[in-house]
Amino acid sequence: MRLAFWLYEGTALHGISRVTNSMKGVHTVYHAPQGDDYITATYTMLERTPQFPGLSISVVRGRDLAQGVSRLPATLQQVDHHYHPELIVIAPSCSTALLQEDLHQLAAHSGVPNERLMVYALNPFRVSENEAADGLFTELVKRYAVSQEKTAAPSVNILGFTSLGFHLRANLTSITRMLQTLGITVNVVAPWGSSIEDLGRLPAAWLNIAPYREIGVNAAAYLEETFSMPSLTEVPLGVEPTMAWLRSLIEKLNFIGAQRGTPPLAMPNLKAFSLDGLSAPSGVPWFARTADMESFSNKKAFVFGDATHTVGMVKFLRDELGMQIIGAGTYLEQHADWVRKELEGYLPGALMVTDRFQDVAKVIEDEMPDLVCGTQMERHSCRKLDVPCMVVCPPTHIENHLLGYYPFFGFAGADVIADRVYLSCKLGLEKHLIDFFGDAGLEYEEGASSEEGDVAPSGSNEHASETVASDVTALGDDGEMKWSDEAETMLKKVPFFVRKKVRKNTDTFARSIGEPVVTADVFRKAKESLGG
Amino acid sequence: MMQVPGDIQIIKEDNVTHSFCGLACVGWMYQKIKDSFFLILGTHTCAHFLQNALGMMIFAKPRFGIALMEEGDLSKNEPTLQEIISEIKADHNPSVIFLLSSCTPEVMKVDFKGLAHHLSTPEVPVLFVPASGLVYNFTQAEDSVLAALVPFCPQAQAGEKKVVFLGSVNDSTADDLRAEAEELGIPVGGFLPESRFDKMPAIGPDTVLAPIQPYLSRVAVKLSRERGCSVLHSLFPFGPDGTRAFWEDLAREFGITVDLRDREKAAWEKIRKQTDLLKGKKVFFTADTMMELPLARFLHNAGADVVECSSAYIIKKFHARELQALDGVRVVEQPNFHRQLEDVRRIKPDLIVTSLMTANPFVGNGFVVKWSMEFMLMPIHSWSGVISLANLFVSPLQRRSKLPAFDEKVWLEGIMPSAE
Repeated sequence: MRLAFWLYEGTALHGISRVTNSMKGVHTVYHAPQGDDYITATYTMLERTPQFPGLSISVVRGRDLAQGVSRLPATLQQVDHHYHPELIVIAPSCSTALLQEDLHQLAAHSGVPNERLMVYALNPFRVSENEAADGLFTELVKRYAVSQEKTAAPSVNILGFTSLGFHLRANLTSITRMLQTLGITVNVVAPWGSSIEDLGRLPAAWLNIAPYREIGVNAAAYLEETFSMPSLTEVPLGVEPTMAWLRSLIEKLNFIGAQRGTPPLAMPNLKAFSLDGLSAPSGVPWFARTADMESFSNKKAFVFGDATHTVGMVKFLRDELGMQIIGAGTYLEQHADWVRKELEGYLPGALMVTDRFQDVAKVIEDEMPDLVCGTQMERHSCRKLDVPCMVVCPPTHIENHLLGYYPFFGFAGADVIADRVYLSCKLGLEKHLIDFFGDAGLEYEEGASSEEGDVAPSGSNEHASETVASDVTALGDDGEMKWSDEAETMLKKVPFFVRKKVRKNTDTFARSIGEPVVTADVFRKAKESLGG
Repeated sequence: MMQVPGDIQIIKEDNVTHSFCGLACVGWMYQKIKDSFFLILGTHTCAHFLQNALGMMIFAKPRFGIALMEEGDLSKNEPTLQEIISEIKADHNPSVIFLLSSCTPEVMKVDFKGLAHHLSTPEVPVLFVPASGLVYNFTQAEDSVLAALVPFCPQAQAGEKKVVFLGSVNDSTADDLRAEAEELGIPVGGFLPESRFDKMPAIGPDTVLAPIQPYLSRVAVKLSRERGCSVLHSLFPFGPDGTRAFWEDLAREFGITVDLRDREKAAWEKIRKQTDLLKGKKVFFTADTMMELPLARFLHNAGADVVECSSAYIIKKFHARELQALDGVRVVEQPNFHRQLEDVRRIKPDLIVTSLMTANPFVGNGFVVKWSMEFMLMPIHSWSGVISLANLFVSPLQRRSKLPAFDEKVWLEGIMPSAE
């Protein structure tokens, strides 16, 4: 038992629904109490689904339990009658899993033909969102994929794109555009937008693309083992990784093509990958070399997230933008070994592996990095500390589900990420001027007033209340060092964006020399001792 | 079908609805009672729910949290919460800790009462709040929180005749209600809940309990049984009609006769533009917050055509006046959503008041919607809330009429590939 506030991963039920909500003709029935219906809201609100997601609850109530009644057969009949799904996935929740019912038998009582039912009962106390999603997707692929003729021309499946995935549509578009440029056909995208029939067609493709470590890699492995389909599981995040990804894709397809006697694919002039077809496909290589980006060599970054993005971002920041990586971590313990292996030589210390956001916040507070790449949790922790942060992976917020084209994958993705890093970090030459001359007229009003955030539906824009929340708590007076007016005035002369850091360092310094109050004298001493 | 006084027929279905569980009440209760901490004994699901569906902010130190039951905890006879309670006390220094139940420990038959009693100290009481989704819907757990507070309401002396308003509202709404009562000559004993734990109102045999939210029947019954207080049975103070009945009936409890006809008329006059727009409009309530009866009654009296008023639970005695006022309206308890969906497609209502889970898909199906949850978060009580209340219904209709024509075939393409 532990006290938890927020968790990185969602539940097994959430993972299951991410897969089924991605698919056509598939309906999930939760054998669960009313409260589990909140999952439906994550789709209707975050993805703003214009149709009802294929999710129904077979409500379990205390009274039913007492009377030994199960509504599951009736719910299955209702769902079948109203929506005619090709497949109904039945899943228990954490509470009903404890009841140890025979869901197969209950489901059979519904009279819905067995081939249209699938009981997917995981231990919700052991399995979380990603593992459940990946597990169900793999099961579905095993159940429906059948051996068949390959397509005549080179073709690929794109696996692992799943409802509520990070920048899902834009990443898919970015990958699809590159494939178009190479003249490669997309056979099936799954589970996003696929039908049961599409899963059946998977083996017609020459190769599987599965860029997400969390979802899709196991399905690709199964297809490789069973249908001898090679897979490309690298992540095209950043310019160099995208180039390597393209080369590997071409090589693998040409290997098959040679056996089949089809003409080989060739890497086109890189201009072909640009939006206008006339330019460099990414601005990042030049941008990274420009003079004002030199200051980035001194910038320290900390990355925390899922497996795919933690690896991708660390490599991008160090290899392509020349930043210093002071640490990284993941909340996905089951992928920690892979992340460690991928990041060998990139990290100054051990990879952090935790699902407690407080631990991550503590590291950020101790290190005060120049940039944090993280999740929604880190964004909140960083707001409080006034540390620049960009969200690079789930868990996300409505703000991460935008309309525009902001991929993280491919050449276009490299540009998007570099822009965000640039906008998140404090500027280069401008920073020197500010450092030298004080506030340079960029002073912001401090101490906005506040009320705690309202209970807002996740669909509403909570930005306002959030900014405000950033944070009254931080200014709370428990255990904080007192500052004399004079010292406060001196602190005001420090550039606004490092003020919190200076305050914190000075507090620590004062404590270390046993001063109860930060006076002008203590402040000066701290400045000397800490080097300004 | 069952019959209630006034021959109102209530159709009862099988409760296949889209709504939240009782834990949702944490979202507003922790903000209302400012020196409290809300501890949920629950699972990953409970945490994921609070974090996502309610979109609550991640505060550095939120005053609510989950005592997270992990696999190893399932085999233990009694959860050990002592360390967690100590951690909460050290970090938050609350005056009271509410211990909320949830489905998993409920299935495990955890003895919550004993647990809370064991953790309680005279300085910081730990109060058990039944909130599990196996039993309690969305707003109903506020009823449980208030019931847990009853022992901390001082005993009012006999002869101390005052009104205590029942239900959590924000401070400015509370001020308005208090001022209105005082103007009518009604002595005010306070609110259950007040915003601080040590300020809960005194309640005794001559207290008149005036419920201002329609989902608090159990605490009302408990108080009348335990303290002998009387409970006002009137309309809930929403809209000109409900507000007038509420204040007239409440005044009568104090031997004061007031005639608020003119006040009601003036209030209707103030929202004439809105009611003109609502007249004859077909409105459908799918059931979510248990505020449906009084809201539908206001619309009915405003001239709208309420084609279905569904609510998760209808308490015949507690809601009797509202039900009478809804005479002629189709009222459904524990509705079936699949059936509702078919009826909606057939009836084609002009406005659907519905949950967060179903709002956008209804819009995608060509309907105009209003989030039912918004009515809980807006000041819609009494005279000062009349305009807000009317605007909540009118604004989605007006907004829709201002937006350009929408060709679904064009603008919904690719938004939800699984539905195509």
